[in-house]
Amino acid sequence: MEGVIFLKNRILVVFALIAAIAFYGGPAEAKKTVIKDIDKRDWQVIAPQDSDAPLHDYAILYDAGGTDGSIGVIGIPSMRTYRHIKCGVDLHNFPFSGSNAGNNNGTPDGKYFYVSDKGADTVVEVNLQTGMPERIFALPKPFGIHHSAALAPNGKYLFATGELTGRMLKLRLADGATTVLDIPPAPSAPDYPDTSKDGRYVFSGNYYHSAVMVFSQDPFKLIKEIPVGKNPHGTNVSPTNRMVVVCDKLSATLSIIDVDKLRVHRVIPTGAGPLHNQVDSLGKYDYQSCFVSDSTSKIDLMRGQLVDEFPVHYRVGHNSIAPDNAYYVSQNKFSTGLFTPTGIVFAVNFELQDIDETSPTYGKTVKLIPVDGEPHEGRQIFGSYIQRWNTGKGNDLFEKGYDLGDYHVSFDKGPGLSSKERPSIEPTHTGDSMRAWIPRDDGKPGVTKEGDVYVVRVKAFSYGYVPRFIHVPQGAKVRIILTNIDKAAGLTKNPDVTMGFTPAGYYGPRTMLFGVRGMSVVGEFVAKKAGEFEYYCQQFCGPLHLEMRGTFFVDPPGGKASLASGDYDDISKQETMLSEHERQWIVGTNKLLNKLNEGNEPTI
Amino acid sequence: MKLKNSVSVLFFAFCLVSMVFVSRSFADRLGNGSDINDCLQIGEITKIGNRELVITTKFEKAPKTYTLTMHPDAYVHTGDRGQFMKFSELKTGNLVAAYGWYRDGKWWARRIAVMDPNDYLIKRLAEDAKAGVYYKGER
Repeated sequence: MEGVIFLKNRILVVFALIAAIAFYGGPAEAKKTVIKDIDKRDWQVIAPQDSDAPLHDYAILYDAGGTDGSIGVIGIPSMRTYRHIKCGVDLHNFPFSGSNAGNNNGTPDGKYFYVSDKGADTVVEVNLQTGMPERIFALPKPFGIHHSAALAPNGKYLFATGELTGRMLKLRLADGATTVLDIPPAPSAPDYPDTSKDGRYVFSGNYYHSAVMVFSQDPFKLIKEIPVGKNPHGTNVSPTNRMVVVCDKLSATLSIIDVDKLRVHRVIPTGAGPLHNQVDSLGKYDYQSCFVSDSTSKIDLMRGQLVDEFPVHYRVGHNSIAPDNAYYVSQNKFSTGLFTPTGIVFAVNFELQDIDETSPTYGKTVKLIPVDGEPHEGRQIFGSYIQRWNTGKGNDLFEKGYDLGDYHVSFDKGPGLSSKERPSIEPTHTGDSMRAWIPRDDGKPGVTKEGDVYVVRVKAFSYGYVPRFIHVPQGAKVRIILTNIDKAAGLTKNPDVTMGFTPAGYYGPRTMLFGVRGMSVVGEFVAKKAGEFEYYCQQFCGPLHLEMRGTFFVDPPGGKASLASGDYDDISKQETMLSEHERQWIVGTNKLLNKLNEGNEPTI
Repeated sequence: MKLKNSVSVLFFAFCLVSMVFVSRSFADRLGNGSDINDCLQIGEITKIGNRELVITTKFEKAPKTYTLTMHPDAYVHTGDRGQFMKFSELKTGNLVAAYGWYRDGKWWARRIAVMDPNDYLIKRLAEDAKAGVYYKGER
């Protein structure tokens, strides 16, 4: 009898085990990679495998690498870094070409992306198919770009914010022609923009005004400011086009703006220090990066409630979402204690989180990788957009185009260059200058003349500089000595906090200084061009890092530089960014300022 | 007295009419379910024409029917992680998310994504609707 009971118990245990395996194995099975035609074209056919570590990634994350001047190309979900695309000085934000329909990832046509370079004050056009930069849009000076985020629905115009000069810009992608608006009253900092999906509006946070500004796309003009929470940052339009979701950075709330009524519809409490939004492609959930609470907040936009919160490693900045809503990448700004030290500038990290509610690892971090630079916005695209160029078909693909289903992609249709020539330009990162780290310099902050050199001692801390204004005469040899005197590290309490110094525009490609604690850093250059240049901290140091600014004046002979007085026409040629034979690919510049004749072209 | 009464009646009528208009102008589109002006529609294909689709919206209390016209640059995604398919391969009964705009009397689809019924978001929207929380805030 005992034997029968024992046998019964064993059978029950075996059944329980089978049930458990079926239960846990079932949902996991749904995430297996299936071999598709694209895989079969390989000489080596891969075996089915768990989709968290496939040989072929189904999506690609392009991240604007900030201070390394490169775009990182990272596989999703493997999180392998495939390559870096050199683009300039300090890269921040980009849309893919095509249309803005959908969520932040838009409706790409797979041809280009346009990345803003805050250090050089340009927008760089990168060909997704060759993976090479093709054109530089030289923005009219002085502008002071921060985020170039948003496409018009028809994909022909780009809207950018001039955070450093209080301006907004509309740029025609065909030729770089621009219209620029001044946004008073000062201080004014148009920040992160997005466009409405129906072609009516551009929305942009303005952290000095604690408001979201609303512009009409055509004609391009300011029509309203909507007060929101304190110091708004991420400002994104939902794919339904009904709401604008605004991260109120210092209020720990999400303001929901009704696109029709242009007023705040609801304010939802969220994690502390919300910076950026990622709305899923159906407009159901909005995921926010919360810098102070070290978390990803998940808000149900249909219910208007915070419904979940996932911890992240440390101090998140930007974020991105997979085009199928299965994964979310928390793009963290610090990596304290995580990785082997590799030098003065530390690695930050990207954290892959599983947001598929049916997955066994839902809400968990499934990968964490070190990345270089100080990455900003990331956007993801299905890998199926990128053609296979290395099979002898490249010529046909460019000359005749190719099909995505029954949509024929042709490079002759614009907005970039025709199919006749595909340049590969290499914008300068830092050049014609000297940089070095020296023992801590405790000299008095300010400008002194030592021999024929103007020595500028700058102290940096969270969140500001001493001195706040710097004047040197045109033609002066300038030596900047930056010392990080920070003790509070803002709200971060992080020993890694590095302070940056980059004057945006002409001197950006020459002067990007990283001030680590306990040391000083020196940058030397000749102040050849007169003008007023905002300098800013390019290395994330806390939630108010963005607002850490000063002004560098290079005064012309017999006068003072200002936003109205300087060598801006010359600077706008952006000649220092490219070598002489590459300059044919620079478009825009001041010559076309405010001469945009758009006619009656519909925006959709 | 008569005049006073007439004025009162007129004033009352004016208030009533104003209330109707005011309440309309303050009607919350965010709570009215799907709308032709939305730039994203989720629904089931009920009819396929020449570069046109008819869909009936899903996950709503009162489903609506819209005709979608394919934009010249429109493309179609399968529910399988970004694979492309042809318009002619769409079938009635397919659940789709359509991204586009309403302009000049037509709803122009820039992208059609065929949705997998097992997609967690689709399951969530279905569960929500069953629980009385309808898509696009319909009350």
